[in-house]
Amino acid sequence: MNLLIDVLIAIGLVVLAWQALVGGSLFRGIVMFIVFGLTMALAWARLGSPDLAMAEAAIGAGVTGALLMIAYWRLRALGASRPTPRSRLRARLALGVGVLSSVLVAMIGLAAVEAIGPGGEAGQALAAALPATGLGNPITGVLVIFRNLDTLLEVAVLLAAYVASRAALGDDKAALPLPPAQDAPLVGALVAVLAPLTVLVAIYLLKAGSQLPGGAFQAGAVLAAGGVLLMLAGRLHPAPLCGLGLRIALVAGTVVFSGVGIIMLALGQPLLAVPGTWAVYLIETAMMVSIGATLVLLFAGSAGLSGKALR
Amino acid sequence: MSHAEVWVVAAAAVFGIGLYSLLIAAHLLRQLIAIKVMGSAIFLVLVVAAGPIDGALDGLPKALVLTGIVIAISAIAFALALLVRLAEVTGSTSLEDDADDDR
Amino acid sequence: MTAEALTGLVFLPLLAACAVAALPGRLGGGFVLAGLAPLPLCLIVLTGAVVDTGTVSLAIAGFASPLGIEWFVDPLALILLWLNTVIALVVGLYAARDYPPHSARGGRFWALWLLLTSAMNALLLSADLFNLFVTLELVTVAAIGLLVIDGKPAALRAGMRYLVLALLGSLFYLLGVALIYGQAGTLDLYQAGERLGPELLPVTALVLMTVGLLVKSAVFPLHSWLPAAHGNAPGPVSAVLSAMVVKVSIYLIWRLWLWLAADWQPDWALPMLGLLGAGAILYGSVLAFLQVRLKMMVAYSTVAQLGYLMLLFPLFGPLGFTAATYHLLSHGLAKAAMFLAVSNILAVMGTDRLDRLGGADRRLPLDTLTLALAGVSILGLPPSGGFVSKWLMLQAAWAIEGWGWLIVILAGGLLAAAYLFRPLAVLCARPATARPADDVRAPSPAGLRWGGIVALMLALAALVAGLAPAPVLTLLEGGLPPGARP
Repeated sequence: MNLLIDVLIAIGLVVLAWQALVGGSLFRGIVMFIVFGLTMALAWARLGSPDLAMAEAAIGAGVTGALLMIAYWRLRALGASRPTPRSRLRARLALGVGVLSSVLVAMIGLAAVEAIGPGGEAGQALAAALPATGLGNPITGVLVIFRNLDTLLEVAVLLAAYVASRAALGDDKAALPLPPAQDAPLVGALVAVLAPLTVLVAIYLLKAGSQLPGGAFQAGAVLAAGGVLLMLAGRLHPAPLCGLGLRIALVAGTVVFSGVGIIMLALGQPLLAVPGTWAVYLIETAMMVSIGATLVLLFAGSAGLSGKALR
Repeated sequence: MSHAEVWVVAAAAVFGIGLYSLLIAAHLLRQLIAIKVMGSAIFLVLVVAAGPIDGALDGLPKALVLTGIVIAISAIAFALALLVRLAEVTGSTSLEDDADDDR
Repeated sequence: MTAEALTGLVFLPLLAACAVAALPGRLGGGFVLAGLAPLPLCLIVLTGAVVDTGTVSLAIAGFASPLGIEWFVDPLALILLWLNTVIALVVGLYAARDYPPHSARGGRFWALWLLLTSAMNALLLSADLFNLFVTLELVTVAAIGLLVIDGKPAALRAGMRYLVLALLGSLFYLLGVALIYGQAGTLDLYQAGERLGPELLPVTALVLMTVGLLVKSAVFPLHSWLPAAHGNAPGPVSAVLSAMVVKVSIYLIWRLWLWLAADWQPDWALPMLGLLGAGAILYGSVLAFLQVRLKMMVAYSTVAQLGYLMLLFPLFGPLGFTAATYHLLSHGLAKAAMFLAVSNILAVMGTDRLDRLGGADRRLPLDTLTLALAGVSILGLPPSGGFVSKWLMLQAAWAIEGWGWLIVILAGGLLAAAYLFRPLAVLCARPATARPADDVRAPSPAGLRWGGIVALMLALAALVAGLAPAPVLTLLEGGLPPGARP
């Protein structure tokens, strides 16, 4: 029975990937990609990783989907030309490469699964070291304590992506266009309920992350989703300048994380050591703020945001 | 223990579809989706190909995947900004119609 | 002190980048200085430690591998850290002319410049395969952000292509990492090597990772994106892309095959990698000769020169290793100098088309000199750093009786002479009809001279590297790869 569910989800993934990537209109492809992301979330849940299921649904499908949609809308608004399709020879060649790579990856992957040993040394070390940290969620342990350099640099990647996007868009492009806000009667009431709710959910996810599935990434993604919603409802606007508060939010994750790590070094501890659960919360809160703010700005395609309800 | 083989085969098929699409799609937006989808397939292999510990899947690769998901969205977000700017400046949404860049 | 020095190398530029991004404006220049200027001090401390003890390592957060991430510095990593820092600082001096840190565009430039410096230092320090993936992504995003910062259509197109291919390369690298972790149970580069053997799966994993890195480092035949990207980026960005960014990926290929797989690399692997290098040298040189634009010529020359770094594999041994590392160093300096000089020529003449540069030497004597001096090192003529590396490389080929490799090295030198002599001849030609370039918005003479001096400094450094190679060579001989140790 369980096998059947797994097989069905797996087939779903393959079919949806095909739908998203091959043939059909681009718009349909994006929609199918979002459904693919949600199905990936199901797969993660089946693999016993609710953390990943949440992250994939919120970031992989949700925010990525929103970014793709808005880019699609902008490209249409620009009236960008549609590229001419590839030649038939190239398509045949590509089909060959695709099939070959599938077969190869399957063979390699199956051999890898066949040869699986009694579990990774690193994973066993993780299971042994986790209780001493007071955290119940091994993933949070890895991300914030054991391998926190990865996490720190990854937040730096997000910052780099924002600055690089601004660099690509240049000075004369203070903000990219957004679709006109929907002024349906119920939107206001809905937003009034949803906006505080996303903040609440984000804070819950952050707090739960130390013991249960959740953490800064999921929380940040939920915040970002709230921001995107506010923007689409016309409650939050792109602004040509980035205010001080927002600029601090952008770098908060990197700065707080590095700051704690360097202070620990100055105190004679190892670099990036995390002094206690309170520090875990501090670092995760700063990361959540940075992730949420950066993703909203990347969606807005603008340097900054302004919250004025009336223009 | 889950059914690792099932996921590996699915990941392989998704990877192949992604590569195929990357090669034939002319539109950059589609190529970026292809890269994202291939990334998901690799994350699946990363988690499934690690050995189980006490009957459950190793926790470490899951944390790596979480990091990978955030990196993927950062890279895609930058790529989309670049694409919109490219389309605005050159009117093109493809790398195919490259003119020979001469000043 | 060593831990502080290591921390400084990564975190000073990282925090300075945050400061520039969060508090743009008048303080920008101060932040940039605070992020870059102390790095040589950190490196001096680190060099002392490496000279004393051979290698330095640091377990981040106090968790050693396999659970945690470790930094590991040996002489090779140290020399690359020096090169990266010198390039970031000196080319940075040049960039300050075009990108004043207090302007909006300058703020973005310096934030990305600092992020790139930090990411490359973190990459050179890291001994963890997944952490390396993260640093590679940071390098890619920051580098392409810098490439497109002027919004030139050609640069945007080149940046987009570079990004798509770099992301594809990352996927292959990550797939390899997944297989290594599944088999070895650890992500530490050196530990994983001990846990694995010459079976099909580990070798496949290495091949996948190598393919990904070859794309990122634009090694022939996966070089297609490089000339457009390096040929259309802003001058200082071209310099850092060619001098460092593509090289760190080749450095990782070295680490994979000569360290991780030191005891079990299959017989066919090293010659195969060498063949790619030979292809790069021949193909890149011929294409460099055929270019009509000076900057594209310099970019294709990078494709060719990267090939020598791949010749380390067939010529592997103490000589080959020191030769290739020395080549990396001297080419980095000379190529950065060349790109900066070309950038000056472009700014003054308004074009870099070779047929319109006649007589440029009279308007730009300094930059013509820089181009010639840097060319001496790229060519491998004495007394330059390039000569030392090519000479050592020839000796290595002679020692293993690799006549084919010997011919490739010599042919590469001859071809380089051909493609480097042509632009110099053009620059110093006396055109029959003067071509006034009125519409050119040249930088102020003072700014121009400043940029020319910076470029000349780098070219001179590449020359001096040939006069006193002993300290670096001795250092490197203390940190040979496992397979080359006596």
